Amino acid sequence: MNWKFPKFGRPKDAPVEGPILNMRLSSVLLIGYRNLMINKFRSIMTIGGVGVGIGIITFLISLGFGFQEMVVREVTKDNPPDIIDIVNSNLDNFVSLDGKTIERIREIPGVDRIGRSINTGGKFAMGDSQTDGAIYGIDADYSDMSPLKMVSGSVDFSDESSKAVVSSRLAELLGFTDPASLVGQAISYDIILSSETNSEVKGDTVRSENQIEVAGVYDDKDKSVAYLSYGMLNRNFGVDLAQQGRIKSKALTDVPNIRIEIENLGFVTENVGDIVGDIDGFFLIIKIVLVVFGTIIMSISAMGMLNTLSVSLLQRTKEVGILKALGAKRGDIFKMFIFEAAIISVIGGISGFLGGYGVAKAVNVAFNIMAVQKGNDTINFISIPGFFMLAIFGFVAFLGIATGLMPARRASKTHALEALRYE
Amino acid sequence: MEEVVKHEHKEVAILVEGVKKSFHVGENEIPVLSGVSLKIHRGDFALLVGASGCGKSTLLHIVYGLEQPTEGKVFIDGKDIWAYSKDWRADFRNQSIGFIPQQSFWIKSLSVIENIAIPAIIGGKGFSESIPRAAKLIELVGMEKWADYRPYDLSGGQQQRIAVARSLMLDPKFIIADEPTGNLDFKAGEEVLQLLNDISDKFGITVLMVTHNVDQYKYGSRIIRMFDGKVTSDEQNKNSFDRLEKEFPGIDNEEISIGDEDNDAQA
Repeated sequence: MNWKFPKFGRPKDAPVEGPILNMRLSSVLLIGYRNLMINKFRSIMTIGGVGVGIGIITFLISLGFGFQEMVVREVTKDNPPDIIDIVNSNLDNFVSLDGKTIERIREIPGVDRIGRSINTGGKFAMGDSQTDGAIYGIDADYSDMSPLKMVSGSVDFSDESSKAVVSSRLAELLGFTDPASLVGQAISYDIILSSETNSEVKGDTVRSENQIEVAGVYDDKDKSVAYLSYGMLNRNFGVDLAQQGRIKSKALTDVPNIRIEIENLGFVTENVGDIVGDIDGFFLIIKIVLVVFGTIIMSISAMGMLNTLSVSLLQRTKEVGILKALGAKRGDIFKMFIFEAAIISVIGGISGFLGGYGVAKAVNVAFNIMAVQKGNDTINFISIPGFFMLAIFGFVAFLGIATGLMPARRASKTHALEALRYE
Repeated sequence: MEEVVKHEHKEVAILVEGVKKSFHVGENEIPVLSGVSLKIHRGDFALLVGASGCGKSTLLHIVYGLEQPTEGKVFIDGKDIWAYSKDWRADFRNQSIGFIPQQSFWIKSLSVIENIAIPAIIGGKGFSESIPRAAKLIELVGMEKWADYRPYDLSGGQQQRIAVARSLMLDPKFIIADEPTGNLDFKAGEEVLQLLNDISDKFGITVLMVTHNVDQYKYGSRIIRMFDGKVTSDEQNKNSFDRLEKEFPGIDNEEISIGDEDNDAQA
């Protein structure tokens, strides 16, 4: 590496010069390193200042990104981004999700599958036990797109199926502490039908004392719910409308178009991307705050570094003088100071990065140990994206050059005789 | 540019031609050298003497390529050094001239032996390949016991011996010394000068040295006296006990007359 200074003011007839010998980079680095070593305390404090700054930024940012990833992961776990929900939440809306509409939506380019569901009130009874609960009517496609966490039995929501899947809570309320023992038994239920589910029905009507066999129990300890086949509800109770539709798109890129088409039909659509967008927006604000914090911290580190390098230059004025007198070129002196700054910032940067990330990981591990003791799952809330590592690396390089530049320029311009006379 | 300037029967190694130098202090221009011309021959041990402020150090710095003359030229080995770039001069100083300043300055973070090697390091060599030669030089000046010390832990006399070793690192053709014994007591000064004398003699190095210590005149083969920015006399030193003896065998060392040099000695 050669820093060539422009040769101003040399006459045109100046003699031709051969190659000029410059100091080796290894020698420059060794002298820089030795100089840091004889001022150990000062060097450690300066490197520590940079390290603490980079460390705090790394810690905060890895926490910020980690939390964001964790929240997005949790939100999208049961909601893949290629799924679009159609809701009919607008009461002023007279469009309904009937069979014809479902077929129209199925025709939209990019739609892979469409499933439908209704949800209405019901009452369940078995022997002496009886309880209120919710009844969901879903078809096989809807079921595939919203898998239930089964604890016993199996799921079948094809049109022919006349079996139910109930929540573990409902099983418990019906007197079955062991959900598996309910599978295969028949329960009796009442179902409320309304204009939301049946195009022919005005107001609410109740159809009582229907029998159905329980095919499976899924894990839900809070709500009392039974899932029935939409086809069966259609056959037996004339259910012909859906309150919700769920679409799987062929590709993620189809999602926006499908949504527009469906919204043009008068429905409202939802997609997990909306929530992720909100989450990202929220974390963006947090990250901006962190970056502002980080910038303040790093400016303090940078000032400390600049101070150290300036003092180092003043203390070494005579060294610069003798080096120049003995033939060191301006570029050599410049390199010596800029590399000293580089050594400080690189060591500080690497140790700070590793330290900050290590502390963040340790916090995560400690948190998980506590979570496991309390019977919860472990989670990972620490993450550093690759571009942030690159940014840290770039910042460290910038810091070294920015803080080293001024002292290095001043040192390289120092006149040998003036430096030797310096007191 | 490469022509070798011959003077009488001896080769002229350093040629100073009409060098003038003035400094600006505020609005005033203070002349320090008002037209100096000199010829230093190959193998000379030339002493530049005169009162403080007579311009001898400035002249030395101009010859060494550190201080630009206002007017005039300096040829070293036929090269008009002030016609070249600053970096070329730095390189030339490094490769051809050994320098012994009045006070030895060191790279504090390096050991004595590494400091001796510094001219080679500046010239683009690595530490490991330079240390063996530095080790020979430290032996030459009898300081091998102190190789791993920090230079500033040594006495003034010891430091100047190390400075002599450092000046020899790249086999220079010239040594330029600026009152190298100025800060030493008589005995230490004598030892350093004796060393410098022996070494320059042994390796045929041309020496230009500033001094105002009359006791050291005996080491010079030539004595160039300066006064008020001009060379007032320039003569072969018949009293030089060492070199001249070879050239003019049989000449005794006489008491050096210092009758007209009072102000020099006091400076």
